[in-house]
Amino acid sequence: MSNRTLAIMMGAVALLIVAVAVVFILVLSGGDDDDSSSVPAGTSEASSGPEDSGNRSEDRNNASPSVSGICAENRIIVPGDSPATVFDPIQVGDASTAEYTAEIFGGLVSLDLDLNIVPDIAEDWEVSDGGRVYTFFLRDDVVFHNGRRVTADDVKYSFERAADPANFSPTVLDYLGDIVGVRDKFNGVADQVSGVEVIDEYTLRIELDRPVSYFLHQLTYTVAYVVDREQIEQDPDGWTRNPNGTGPFRLKVWRPLEEIILIPNDRYHLGPPKLDEVKFSLGGGSLLTRFENDEIHVAGVPGIELAGVLTGESPLSEFYRPVPQLSIFYIGMNVNEPPFDDPLVRQAFALASNREAINEVLFYDALIVADGILPPTLPGYSADVTSYGYDPDRAGELLSRSRYAGNMPRIILTYSGTAGDSPDRLQALQQQWEDALGVEVEIEAIEWSAYLRELRRGTFQMYAAGWIADYPDPENFLGKLFASDSRLNHTGYSNEQVDALLEQAATLQDQDARYRLYHKAEQIIVDDAPIIPTFWTIGHYLVRDCVQNWPDVGTIVPKYRYIEIDASRE
Amino acid sequence: MSQGLAGYIIRRLFWAVPVILSVSILVFLLVRLAPIDPIDSLLGLRYDEEMAERLKAKYGYDRPLHIQYLKYVQNLFQGDLGVSTRHSDFSVAEVVIPKVRVSAGMGVMAIALAFGLGIPVGVYAALMRGTPIDPLTIGSWLLIDSIPVFVSAIWVPWFLALKLGWIHLAYEGVLHPNILVPVLLMSLPGVAGVARLMRASVIQVISEDYVRTARAKGLREHTVVITHVVRNALLPMITVIGLSLPGIFTGSLFIELIFGIPGIAAEALAAVRAPDYDVMLGLSLFIFVLFILANIAIDIAYGFIDPRVRVGAAKGG
Amino acid sequence: MIVDARMTEVSELETSGESRWRVLRLLLRKRIALICIGVLLVFYVAGFFAPLVAPHDPNRQELTVEARLQSPSSQNLLGTDRLGRDLLSRVIYASRTTILFTIAVIVTGGLILGLGLGLLSGYRGGWVDNLIMRVGELLGGIPTLFLMLVIAAAYRQRINDLAFWMKDNTFLGDDARPLLYFLIIVGVAVPFAWVGSARIVRSQVLAIREQEYVLAAEALGVSTVRLLFRHILPGVLPVYIVGLSASMAGIAGAELALSWLGLGVDPTTPSFGTMIFEAGGVRTFQEYPHLLLVGAIPIILFLFAWNLLGDAMVDLVEPRTFRR
Repeated sequence: MSNRTLAIMMGAVALLIVAVAVVFILVLSGGDDDDSSSVPAGTSEASSGPEDSGNRSEDRNNASPSVSGICAENRIIVPGDSPATVFDPIQVGDASTAEYTAEIFGGLVSLDLDLNIVPDIAEDWEVSDGGRVYTFFLRDDVVFHNGRRVTADDVKYSFERAADPANFSPTVLDYLGDIVGVRDKFNGVADQVSGVEVIDEYTLRIELDRPVSYFLHQLTYTVAYVVDREQIEQDPDGWTRNPNGTGPFRLKVWRPLEEIILIPNDRYHLGPPKLDEVKFSLGGGSLLTRFENDEIHVAGVPGIELAGVLTGESPLSEFYRPVPQLSIFYIGMNVNEPPFDDPLVRQAFALASNREAINEVLFYDALIVADGILPPTLPGYSADVTSYGYDPDRAGELLSRSRYAGNMPRIILTYSGTAGDSPDRLQALQQQWEDALGVEVEIEAIEWSAYLRELRRGTFQMYAAGWIADYPDPENFLGKLFASDSRLNHTGYSNEQVDALLEQAATLQDQDARYRLYHKAEQIIVDDAPIIPTFWTIGHYLVRDCVQNWPDVGTIVPKYRYIEIDASRE
Repeated sequence: MSQGLAGYIIRRLFWAVPVILSVSILVFLLVRLAPIDPIDSLLGLRYDEEMAERLKAKYGYDRPLHIQYLKYVQNLFQGDLGVSTRHSDFSVAEVVIPKVRVSAGMGVMAIALAFGLGIPVGVYAALMRGTPIDPLTIGSWLLIDSIPVFVSAIWVPWFLALKLGWIHLAYEGVLHPNILVPVLLMSLPGVAGVARLMRASVIQVISEDYVRTARAKGLREHTVVITHVVRNALLPMITVIGLSLPGIFTGSLFIELIFGIPGIAAEALAAVRAPDYDVMLGLSLFIFVLFILANIAIDIAYGFIDPRVRVGAAKGG
Repeated sequence: MIVDARMTEVSELETSGESRWRVLRLLLRKRIALICIGVLLVFYVAGFFAPLVAPHDPNRQELTVEARLQSPSSQNLLGTDRLGRDLLSRVIYASRTTILFTIAVIVTGGLILGLGLGLLSGYRGGWVDNLIMRVGELLGGIPTLFLMLVIAAAYRQRINDLAFWMKDNTFLGDDARPLLYFLIIVGVAVPFAWVGSARIVRSQVLAIREQEYVLAAEALGVSTVRLLFRHILPGVLPVYIVGLSASMAGIAGAELALSWLGLGVDPTTPSFGTMIFEAGGVRTFQEYPHLLLVGAIPIILFLFAWNLLGDAMVDLVEPRTFRR
């Protein structure tokens, strides 16, 4: 290599480095411009954020890594997921965003920790016309975070905005679709939601198409939350970065991908929160390791690590808190496809499933074997409903009496497989079915979006699924999954008697009588076995001792205002 | 000579345009023709034909493919990469740029570390050639290279966080010390490769005439190694660094997944799974353009070492 | 002095057309290389004859509290997993997955495409060369994993349909589905695997073509095929084999990574990637270290052996390949 060659080569390499550096700088500086232009509202607060948190994390690092470190301050650090949408209540469709939104905003009514309907912005309401008309009487002391008073006009505006077709709310029809005029406005037929009427400054009347007994539950969902018209009209693009709601907490810092920090709304009408701060940590390594390392107050335990937490010697087992969820795992069977078009085959599969063994061996008895469909924590649960227990002999007998005895077609069990999901429990079922029935079931994994599509089209023969309540009412399970005309009925199950019971229950005003109808329908469904209910799910949590009043609530409710940190309890 | 160089660079850049366009068509078709649909996951169980049609119209997915593509390219030239359906209507730039910064930050640190460790290790091994120290050094780094990152991502936090209590695993941004462990795990497997190349380079340089001359002149061994051998052996390494630069951005999917770091690899995975058309397209084009740039620069560098390569390329270009 | 001696050996190799196989002979003289070859042989033999070697059925569960997560014992030499399956048998079957993957990729991608296109590119030169190298560049630029994901996500349904059809209508029976999954990940990996080896082969061809005996043969009017196979190919092979062996660990690592992500072979087929994934995280490792170790140690050993062997081989020819 001559000197000249070397020099030229160095030049070329320098050029390469410059080229890449230029791209680099363009990307980075482009990003800065972008940030400053699109975050006008939150900039001042966000810019004060890093310094604060810098100091804090220094404090934390300086403090000895004893348990008192994380409990010394009156704040809670919990893991959180990055919100999938902006903090606009009508856009929220995922659980993680809903959790933040529920703390920042509020609606007419809300859920307490026992999932009862409680007053929020409305202090009282009257139901008339056989459950078709609701009249809400609003509190006169409710203010937005910026101090502006909330009136009936704000509520009306929020409903109109949710129904506005230009806003493409993904959830409005599901939760507010029963209000007269919401569908029309959403479909562009009407300009106004005629069913929402402002009587006076603090009185609002809502008229429904038909009496819907779970209407108040639907109002607890984020799409019905009240938003600030003035702010939205002033800053239609940026307001969600600094949302002005009526909820117990205000958004202090939102550093996308890193953290969300909420601080109390001291003027909250139901009593201000007790914490000074709630910090959601959005990224980071294994939650269990971080919990064990005293970095966070609360952690969820992934199923695959249950063994490490629940066995006797584990130092974490004392922090374990099983939190019953309003949800159920089940195996769905397509009643229009062989062999599951024969009820005997479905029942045989149900009888051949040893759910107790799976719960004991794979889940350390942490789950609850589903002896029915409605979860025990759901208002309207009945212990009288029973599902098929493990009885391999009877299973074999039923199968031999079925149309498919001896000529069983191939069976494929589909689940939505992603990284982080091990099909352990399905493999266990697979083995049990083979042992008891002599039937080999194939397990197949498909991608979530394809899974949803095929579920909708009803092409699966047998599938593993779960259902989480949108609102705590039996209708949300039985009506959605098993009514013949429900578009969420993916098994194709259709039973006139069940349909009649569900229809009757949907509009009945007497709760106890209603629940009795649902129980009747539930037992019929379980006996017909379009699904094998496997487990009522449990959220596996670890909670530090110093966290007081951590609610074991299985769905999204505004909960952080109840929580306190008690440093002496560690 | 410099005029020839400029001409060559211009020709290569000129040729890059059709290559990038054809890749964009390729990826566009791959993404759009695959039987996966963002509307499915967007609406999920609430799917309804009417709503699906409206959303398709909103995102322009109802138009013919070639129109969609032309529209995409047109927007691209105006600096608009489209919108992310997975992150309800954030623009692709809003979604991706913060993540590119995270990945770039981590990648630069990881590469710096890999070369910072690999180069001295390589020099050391080369100087120890013929003794057992040489294979032992390289061998132990090869062992580290053989440990899958998702295994070391269990062992290292277990030891450093729980046994020693030295580190925290929270993600606090790229400039926070917490990022060190992920960066270490990302860079250590690369050390062996760098060390091997450096070792070979040093061995080659040692045998060159001018080193022998320097030795013969009676320069101290230390001086010879530093001033002559290492300096010259480093030159080819710069090319290797250049080659690895696009890798900064593709980063390490596993590190991002395991340590909850919001980089572009994890975003790409989520975008494919969702699917999120514009994010997929934007990310793959971004990475490809970087890749092409680096390749051009490397070809130029090689062109001056080995005339055959230059002639071949120039003929084609 | 030893340094100089070795340098001579390498430069001899560079110039002499006669002692082409010297690389391999030199290699066999290295003790470390022999050990590596021995270790790899164990993996390949055990994997290939897995059904004969494995003590239990790798998928047979024993779903009881007593049988789950057992530490190594005389009954289950490497213990059991959550479902009470024998881990030693799963390790052996996982080796099978890994070795079959490496062989399939090498045969299709490395041998046919890499060697073939490399020879073509180097021998023909001109626009053919240019085209092949540009396509390689293009393929190198598409993130492999990304493509893999798209295929897995998009075509899973059709792949399954095909698999079930094959199961019923071909002699493959129960092996059809794992095999098909397997072919697909191989098929996706191959287009990317050939680029590296094609480059090495091409640069070798360019060098050999200039040598006197080849020029002489060309002048004598020897046919292209004969020239390629009699004169050029034998000269290319040693370096090509060296290049392949150096990339083996990377190929095996790709299978590992895909399975860990849940995109590799059929989920019920044992694989080191899924075994490591199913071993859980730091917490489970503290309680049941054997779960992770029995999955991790064999695959680390396997990758290490290939890495060392590759290094030993590259070491013998490095100064030349390094310059391309």
